[in-house]
Amino acid sequence: MTNNEPAVEAHGISKHYGEGNTYVRALAEASFRLEHGEVVALLGPSGSGKSTLLTILGLINPPDTGTLTIGGVPAITDGVIASNAGLIRRRELGFVFQRSNLIPFLTAEENVRLVLELDGVSRRQATRRARAMLDELGVADRRDHMPTQLSGGQQQRVAIARALVHEPALLLADEPTASLDRERGRQVMELFRSAAAERGAAVLVVTHDHRSLDLVHRTFEIEDGQLATDVAPLSGT
Amino acid sequence: MNLAVRDIRHDLPRFLLTAIGLGLLLTVVLAMTGIYNGILLDAVALPDSMKTDLWIVQRDTRGPFAELSRVPWELEDRARAVPGVRGARAYVSHTIQRELPNGAPLRFTAVGLAWPQDRGQDLAIVEGRALNQAHYEILADRSLGLELGQRIPLGRETYTIVGITDGLIASGGDPVVFFTRHDAQVIQYDQPNEALRLEREARAARVSESELGRDPELVRFSGSQSALIPSLSPAPISAVMVDLISPEQRDAVVERFRGWRDVSVYTQEDQRQLILGGVVERTRKQIGLFRALLVVISTILMGLIIYTMTVDKLHSIALLKLLGARRSVIFGMILQEALLLGGISYGLAIVIGNNVFHLFPRRVIIGDDHRLWLLVIVVVISMLGSVLGIKKALAADPNEVLAG
Repeated sequence: MTNNEPAVEAHGISKHYGEGNTYVRALAEASFRLEHGEVVALLGPSGSGKSTLLTILGLINPPDTGTLTIGGVPAITDGVIASNAGLIRRRELGFVFQRSNLIPFLTAEENVRLVLELDGVSRRQATRRARAMLDELGVADRRDHMPTQLSGGQQQRVAIARALVHEPALLLADEPTASLDRERGRQVMELFRSAAAERGAAVLVVTHDHRSLDLVHRTFEIEDGQLATDVAPLSGT
Repeated sequence: MNLAVRDIRHDLPRFLLTAIGLGLLLTVVLAMTGIYNGILLDAVALPDSMKTDLWIVQRDTRGPFAELSRVPWELEDRARAVPGVRGARAYVSHTIQRELPNGAPLRFTAVGLAWPQDRGQDLAIVEGRALNQAHYEILADRSLGLELGQRIPLGRETYTIVGITDGLIASGGDPVVFFTRHDAQVIQYDQPNEALRLEREARAARVSESELGRDPELVRFSGSQSALIPSLSPAPISAVMVDLISPEQRDAVVERFRGWRDVSVYTQEDQRQLILGGVVERTRKQIGLFRALLVVISTILMGLIIYTMTVDKLHSIALLKLLGARRSVIFGMILQEALLLGGISYGLAIVIGNNVFHLFPRRVIIGDDHRLWLLVIVVVISMLGSVLGIKKALAADPNEVLAG
């Protein structure tokens, strides 16, 4: 990652499903940049193409066309996902979901450590960094607990710790506050803001929750596959 | 971080119960192997214990173990006269099924020793001593369950156990009890008094109706005990065991016996092959096939267990893929779980086997090589069993995680 490069740069990303009568354009020529430290909300009704964009940015599904660079690393070129997508996901991407999606047979600390150890970080260093991250997110005292022994808010904090511990260029969050009350939802969004600011990650938050939009820097809107990225920044940025 | 160990730790009771179930199945596989080995060893234990070079049996039979053989008692003397023969001993055997005075069933194979030269001193006596007198003493195998000094009524006499042998089982699986040849035959041909009287009267009647009946003294004599009538030969024996002066003379001696038209001759190795190829062949095949079937069942079960374990954590596998885990990490987790399951089950089977197999009524013999083979089989079926799970893991879609 270099400071003069954007965290994410997408050009001409398109995706369609089906043929003939079932043809659906899920994403049409989407182009945008996400800067380091920027928190962006992605809004749109169901079926508008939010999930499609998320799976493309997560390097799970390839687009039909387009180019994507994450943290300065070419991730998609002319609609083809890079062969080192696994490595890019391990190093440059973090994921937070509506449900915490912690691995049920690992403790909170192990869930966070896992991301680092998958990338070859030594156990000792991974433990140190995982504990520091859990401490930062206020769940250090729950590090030896299994996911089922944590409250919903604690699980979400551990999931955020897991998404940030390897200092990714892009954090993708899919409805992360949907299952939380207003206060906890805002706490999560504040966490994203501070994480983005302190670690330089770009955060793309897919959300229906307008209560916390004052905490994001920019808002993208998507409808029928058309992505509008020029929505004015909200107050508080 | 070892994901397999952590997954197992997460639901340890379930994993252990599964391992116990599979371990019991492997115990049966191990038991089948041991029973198979036991049958083979038991089958040849008796002929091996007799420590002889050649067996002379009834012409065109494969006796005395694979089938019934009867040869005249004087064959022992004829054999002894052949050049190159150091000694000859009569062999008699028959199966006895009676009841002890307390009502307990008593079934064994009675073998007659050629007293006095053979007193059982070369047998595997683990308690007591060899026979010291010509009558009323016996050596019993440990598997019969009787004790040293115990007295057993058989026929008209009572016999005392003076020695306990170990591992001497007839090919049919019955423990062997050694008598002197005379005692063994007395028990074999023992008849009630009334049957003896009727037989003597019938004999006298046959003589009186013939030309010989004109002599009253001959009629009276023919109705006396069989043993007192020179024209009635003693009871036949099962075979004659021949000991050679030196092994080099074997072919010559065998050739000589083959020239006798009333007998067939077999070497000790011939006897082993006759038993293994005939008496226990079907049992051997049956157990071998059953064992193979159990291995197949174990493989299928292992596959199903690993498949189920993989399906249970499919969401976690999809999440691992999303987090960028290499295939080797996911495959390693499934394979390690399969190998751990197999390893624990194997260990359990070995422990159960070591502590339980000696309680089986027939010998169950497990050697280190058999334990090693089972380990190889377990490793192979663990790997085969994990194939289904790995295929399922390959199909896990990270989209499922994003879809919630």
